[in-house]
Amino acid sequence: MKSIWIVFKKEVLDNLRDRRSVSSALLTPLFTPVFLVAFIIILGKSLFGDPIETVLRLPVSGAENAPGLVAFLEQNNVELVPAPEDPEGAVREGDVEAVLIIPEDYGEAFQSGKPAPVQLVVDSSRQSSLDFIQRARELLYTYGQTVGAVRLLARGVNPAVLNAVSVGQMDVSTPQSQTLIFLSMMPFMLIVTICVGGMYVIIDTTAGERERASLEPLLINPVRRRDFVLGKLLASVPFAILTLVLTMVIFGAMFNLIPLEEYTGIPMRIEVQALWRVFWLLLPLMLLALAIQMVVATYTKSFKEAQTYLGLVPLVLASPGAFVGFLSTKATPGMMLIPSYSQSVLINAVLRSETLQPNLVWISVAATLVVTAALTLLAIRLFEREQVLYGR
Amino acid sequence: MIEVRDLKKSFGAIQALRGVSFRAEDGQITGLLGPNGAGKTTTLRVLYTILRPESGQAFVDGLDVRARALAVQARVGVLPESQGLYPRLTARENIRYYGELHGLEGQGLEQRVDRLLDLLEMGDIADRRTEGFSTGERVKVAIARALVHDPQNVLLDEPTAGLDVMSTRAMRRFIRQLRDEGRCVLLSSHIMQEVAALCDRIVVVTKGVVIASGTPEELRAQTGQQDLEDAFVALIGSEEGLER
Repeated sequence: MKSIWIVFKKEVLDNLRDRRSVSSALLTPLFTPVFLVAFIIILGKSLFGDPIETVLRLPVSGAENAPGLVAFLEQNNVELVPAPEDPEGAVREGDVEAVLIIPEDYGEAFQSGKPAPVQLVVDSSRQSSLDFIQRARELLYTYGQTVGAVRLLARGVNPAVLNAVSVGQMDVSTPQSQTLIFLSMMPFMLIVTICVGGMYVIIDTTAGERERASLEPLLINPVRRRDFVLGKLLASVPFAILTLVLTMVIFGAMFNLIPLEEYTGIPMRIEVQALWRVFWLLLPLMLLALAIQMVVATYTKSFKEAQTYLGLVPLVLASPGAFVGFLSTKATPGMMLIPSYSQSVLINAVLRSETLQPNLVWISVAATLVVTAALTLLAIRLFEREQVLYGR
Repeated sequence: MIEVRDLKKSFGAIQALRGVSFRAEDGQITGLLGPNGAGKTTTLRVLYTILRPESGQAFVDGLDVRARALAVQARVGVLPESQGLYPRLTARENIRYYGELHGLEGQGLEQRVDRLLDLLEMGDIADRRTEGFSTGERVKVAIARALVHDPQNVLLDEPTAGLDVMSTRAMRRFIRQLRDEGRCVLLSSHIMQEVAALCDRIVVVTKGVVIASGTPEELRAQTGQQDLEDAFVALIGSEEGLER
């Protein structure tokens, strides 16, 4: 036990003096939440921004032919602008999203009660103008419906006879579950984060030790290899925890201080308590991540090689979390046996404000710790081999 | 006291040791002399428990290196081929770490570290980080940390490799001092002159076997050569290893 503490103490001190270890532990937490919030702000605006509130600038030619329609559009937050010379060309080139053409015979048809022709020039292959087109089309349709209803009423017919089926829609998503569209990325990002915090410490104490040619003299000291591995592994834990805590704090600060509602139109909050739960769910997985990295780094010959291979660990480990983002999965005991996947499912549940079943959480913790112990044993076995001096 | 009996060790198809046997007594400097690739480093690595032999036995103070590895490690001080230090730690911290790993602590440890810093004339570099140390300064730190637990047996793998003339002289003085303190000193070298200048007994190794051993006088008598250099050439059958 004592020698584990001696190795731990030395590696922590040594790595606190290492700019690489410290900066990766301190800067990673900044990157992840800032990236997520930037993503929410940029995408949220275009996905969830309330379209009625913004002014629709619609190019119109022949506005003078339909004063009624023009007045209706203006009442509905549409700004009419003169149409370009060549409407079809302008739409095809993407200069304008759509052009409304009101022909001269509109007035005559309208007066005589025939369908009055208007034409909307659009390019349906242009993804970015689909919202614009839909809104313009809906306004024109609504105007047609309204005028039609008035005409039926004038003839003594209830306009409701036209609606044989009445379609009602009830949206059961809560503000939290809407938020989840964004937060589904969180498990993935957090799992990447827990891998990065301790990575440089792991590399420095294994492949780095070998590259500096300090491993052989170290191993001549009368200390069990097991104690060396445990001391080095534990030395990476404070760095990884620091990274995770900072990430959580910054996440909490960003979601509670930045008025994200203004960008997305839906309330976006992560309770401090939820972040706290996520932190505890991630701790066992963090140990597992460090143990995997220890095993991989013990195999590698040099700092550079270790960096290359350890760079892949977060992606591999976090990939189940990316799945969870797309599947709305309900936690089952079987899922809880798979480390990383279980944490992703549980974190998703926490962010959805669902209540966690304690037995599921315990299965996840136990399964993750068992795998961690197995990996640590493997790392010790690798360290006990003669080949540890050379790598591989 | 070190005793090696019929050590065999191979790496894949290469047979590094084909049956090495010798003894190294307390209060003597024993030199393993042989060309590069003769098996000197492998022999030392078996003795300091980093490598396990396929067959044969090795004892340090009567302790089997395989069965009692930790006890053996506590009784040897080693200057191995790789002498990497921790560049972000000071010289003193490097030495103190090894002392702690040997179970030293508190006043006793600090006093021992101070004495070594004094003995190796490292006062001015003691509290500097070892990053940027010269080769000579580095070797001093490596020696100090190897001896921090005051070991009875000292194993030195090519102790003067890469040192300048002044450092080499200082190193030789230091090695003689270790012997005069009654320790068992075992060093390896491929340089005949070095071994001749330092060692009380010489063990000549080539291609993984011991081909001769004894005092310099005995080796001269054994080969019928007056000059030790000629004796060495006669023994290994080539002029390899006669650098400098």
